[in-house]
Amino acid sequence: MRSLFFLIVLVVLSLFVVTTFYDVKNVFHTVESGFIRFAIILVAFFTFIIIFRYVAFIFFSIIKTTQKTVEFDVKNKHYNPRVTIIVPAYNEEVTIGVSIKSLVEQTYENLEIIIMDDGSSDSTYKIAKKFEGEFKGKTIKVLTKKNGGKSRALNFAIERSSGELVMCVDADSKLDKDAVALMVRYFQDPEISAVAGSVFVSNRVNVWTKLQALEYIEGLNMVRNAQAFLKLVNIIPGPIGMFRKSAINEVGGYAHDTYAEDCDLTLKLIQKEHKIDFEPDAVAHTEAPDELLNLLKQRYRWTRGILQAIRKHSHNLWNFKNANFTIVLWYMLFEAIFWPFMDLFTSMLLIYVSFSMGVNTLLIFWWFLFTIVDISGALYCILITNETKSLSFYAILYRLYFISVINISKIFATIEEWFNIEMSWGKLERKGI
Amino acid sequence: MNFIAFLSFSVLVIIILTLVFGIVAYFLYKMRERQRRKGSDVITYEELREESGRKFLFFDEVKV
Repeated sequence: MRSLFFLIVLVVLSLFVVTTFYDVKNVFHTVESGFIRFAIILVAFFTFIIIFRYVAFIFFSIIKTTQKTVEFDVKNKHYNPRVTIIVPAYNEEVTIGVSIKSLVEQTYENLEIIIMDDGSSDSTYKIAKKFEGEFKGKTIKVLTKKNGGKSRALNFAIERSSGELVMCVDADSKLDKDAVALMVRYFQDPEISAVAGSVFVSNRVNVWTKLQALEYIEGLNMVRNAQAFLKLVNIIPGPIGMFRKSAINEVGGYAHDTYAEDCDLTLKLIQKEHKIDFEPDAVAHTEAPDELLNLLKQRYRWTRGILQAIRKHSHNLWNFKNANFTIVLWYMLFEAIFWPFMDLFTSMLLIYVSFSMGVNTLLIFWWFLFTIVDISGALYCILITNETKSLSFYAILYRLYFISVINISKIFATIEEWFNIEMSWGKLERKGI
Repeated sequence: MNFIAFLSFSVLVIIILTLVFGIVAYFLYKMRERQRRKGSDVITYEELREESGRKFLFFDEVKV
């Protein structure tokens, strides 16, 4: 079924690639300016890379899913290490109760839960404290410290954890009951140091949150599933990630000098040649920003945080001794910088070509090409995750509108990071949906 | 105008509007953050007391 799906996607995509590139060729021969000709080649090359990336990710994701089914049939079902779930919380009074309840409901038994209050000024600590003690065989501890940022709070709790495995979960996330049990299985392989889980948007209340829901399943979860084929997941998401505590200690824990501490820790693990896997069925439901300005705020922080993490490791960009790490760094650089800039450049070129030569059919074929890729990715993810089918309709808006708006914010964030313009953490307000 | 040409024209209009909208939205976000930061620049009693070097701000210390 999956192979057939992949084949259909490949055929339809090939037809559109041929048509689009035929149009590109026509435009190329019509223009006289050398610069515009160069720009057309650049955009065609970029489009090819993006399409190739998508097809490769769908392909590897299919292989990984098939491989996983076979892999766990032969593994020891009695593997039962102590797991500590750490929930860093800063002013999370709206969501902390729901989050703790979802953790207590976990099917995995050998569990310790640490709620790490990072000096909240609201009643987060007071609410969490009510849950302290033994619940359904799980130990719940509530710790507090002076406010010092998420990374310090996580390190503080990791030092005080009793688990051999440590799971970091955002306070606004709600885990599926079997999330811990599904992720623990991977650590039977001594080479695996961390496992990422899937993140789903819980508050699908308007077009922004629905577009993000599509982005999470297609742009993030599917990509991680494909990366897991090579055991090189490049970002373990804040809402759901499990680590071997010895590996975290080996790399010195979470760093305080970036705004993307999860990305930085993952990079440090890959640098030390640790393997990182992904469990698509371990799900965390998280609250996505439901207003555009809050969404931009989140993406601004993500982009600058990722760039800070890449900058920290930039000396490895040309060091091919650890080829995996170098490839991951270049891939992240492509996603964070080249892609948004090329996306804007492509839009500008299309506008220029349309104004100078008249509106060309290239525009519609170009948009169709990406929309087919997005719909295919979305449909594939919906097939394997039982997601709402209606989400695939949002793929029509996704490329043309959503990604462009996000990319503009990423471009400005990149420029500001380049000039070292001061930034703050920018906490998002949660509504507890 | 045939259907494909009409769709192409629509895509062009959406691209232009999205770019303008994206830029405007980004600057609105920056403006909102700047205003929020200004609003949170509140000095506490302790900070003001330390700045002035006095034990009290609104009272005079009386030696008995």
